[in-house]
Amino acid sequence: MTVGSLGVASPAWLWLLPLALLPLFASGRRRAAVSAVAAAPADPASRWIAWLLRGAGVLAVSGLVVALAGPYGAGAPVTRIGIGAPISMLIDRSGSMNETFAGRQPSGAEESKAAASRRLLADFVGARAHDLFAVTAFSTAPMLVMPMTDRHAAVRAAIAAIDRPGLDYTNVARGLAMALSQFAPESSGSRVLLFISDGAAVIDPRVQDALRAAFTKLHPTLYWLFLRTKGSPSIHDRPAGEDTPQAAPERHLDLFFKSLGVPYRAFEAEGAPAVADAIAQIAALERNPIPYTEPRPRRDLTGFAYALAGLGLFLLVLAALAEADFLAARVAGVAVPERAPAPDIRRAA
Amino acid sequence: MTGAPSADIIYLPRWRPRGRRFGAHRGQEAGGLGTFRDQVPFLTLPDARRIDLRASLRDPFEGVHVRRFEMRNAVEVWALIDLSASMRFQGAGDRLRLAADLCAGLAASATRIGDGLGVIGCDRAVRADLYLPATRRRGPALAMAERIAAARCEATGAEGLLEAARLLFGRPRLVFLVSDFRWPQALIGQVFAALALHDTVPVLLADSAEDAGLPDWGLVELDDLEGAGRRLVFLRPALKRRWIAREQARRDALRSLAAASSARAPFHLVDRFNAQALTRHLLAT
Repeated sequence: MTVGSLGVASPAWLWLLPLALLPLFASGRRRAAVSAVAAAPADPASRWIAWLLRGAGVLAVSGLVVALAGPYGAGAPVTRIGIGAPISMLIDRSGSMNETFAGRQPSGAEESKAAASRRLLADFVGARAHDLFAVTAFSTAPMLVMPMTDRHAAVRAAIAAIDRPGLDYTNVARGLAMALSQFAPESSGSRVLLFISDGAAVIDPRVQDALRAAFTKLHPTLYWLFLRTKGSPSIHDRPAGEDTPQAAPERHLDLFFKSLGVPYRAFEAEGAPAVADAIAQIAALERNPIPYTEPRPRRDLTGFAYALAGLGLFLLVLAALAEADFLAARVAGVAVPERAPAPDIRRAA
Repeated sequence: MTGAPSADIIYLPRWRPRGRRFGAHRGQEAGGLGTFRDQVPFLTLPDARRIDLRASLRDPFEGVHVRRFEMRNAVEVWALIDLSASMRFQGAGDRLRLAADLCAGLAASATRIGDGLGVIGCDRAVRADLYLPATRRRGPALAMAERIAAARCEATGAEGLLEAARLLFGRPRLVFLVSDFRWPQALIGQVFAALALHDTVPVLLADSAEDAGLPDWGLVELDDLEGAGRRLVFLRPALKRRWIAREQARRDALRSLAAASSARAPFHLVDRFNAQALTRHLLAT
């Protein structure tokens, strides 16, 4: 049974609730029969205490009955506004990510591109409480690592897994499609697609249209964090020979992104500090209010009800302990019933 | 308590009784025996046995004088006992037991000197089962005292005392009005007025548990025997002082009401019956 946001597990107990009125009419205290209560002078303090104890009785009985019925506060989804953005991360898991920025296998104190991005992204996640993250990895095929969630611990765990040895090649198109699919289409506010890779690949013109449509529909802000290996071509380098996507895939992917009509920014990083710098810039840029929903679980109020009943009972026990033995004198009088022996006076009037 | 009490209650009526019945109290009339009262001419009281030779010889007009003696008369002592519900109170003493002890003491003391004792128990009306016409026989009087001790008091109110006062018409009597006087002021005044003819001794049954014996601290749930409901009282020294002062004020009010109707000052019968204390009170007021 639920009334508003409160409910009880077994409402049948509530039929006992009228018992709570009992303390208004009866009391468990010893009664001292006196010839006239009017003999006691009017006393506001006594009147207040009497009402307090009546209230305590009502509280104790009703608290116990309600506690037996098992009260709870019903759970409900709560929509709140926070600073942050839904961020879908698309992370390259191709084999080259396991190399250092110098293009070698890491040895000693060196760290691979994957390890560096892992470390820096882990700090990025959780810096703001209301960011939503989805993690998608891709190489030849995209892998959904973590759907859109606000559980930052899980997201960090997902990111912690991205420096596992990488797989094959780089298939950007399908990865982008899956990363885009993580955004809830109905949610409003800004969206961020963070694309981390150390290389690019040709996007099939047939897939390009589908991607273009998806980008137009969702309109995410796109950040490309390009982990450039030393010596490899930059995004902006025109190839020496023929300027085809096959010859310079990075440049053409950049051009494709620019042609999408969404806010787009590319960061080119040639080392861990540059990656950190790029991530800090992204974090600074994405400061939009987003509405987010938090489920509020059902709260058990039994303990609260028992605490109220306990408070009432505590007051009643105090009152019982404070009871004065009004007729103590009578008990003493019964114990000594004999009269003081009067001297025998026999006198005629 | 059964049997005669060990000490007599000694009382002096305020008035001179009249009548033919001989007893222990100085009467208004002159009779044959007793205390010398005055001398009257022989023609006024032609009783040759009591010619006062000395007075007759001293008279220059040679009249014959006769001695006259005070007649000693008996009086009737009545106990009007309030049997309203508040008389069930049991504190340091049992209130009905106190009343019964007083009755037994009066029964013994009155019958010993030839006075009659009558008892009327009243609550809202006169209790027919607890009515004893004035008798000089000790047995029934003592038995009535026992019945008073065992009486059941359920009715509230003491209006029956007015009715009882009307039963005591005619000659003056010594009336002990035994009650805790937990009545409305108006009723107290009416009862005293109705008993104005008589020599009335209010006997206030008090109990130390109701004032001086109150605990200093604590919660007490008072339950009115007269049905005025329950009340929780938080006792503390300040309240106790106020309580005792209130009780004292009540006693003072009773004393002034009694004085207004020419009744004697109330006697406070506290916790246990003491015949000597009552005697002292009766001789002093």
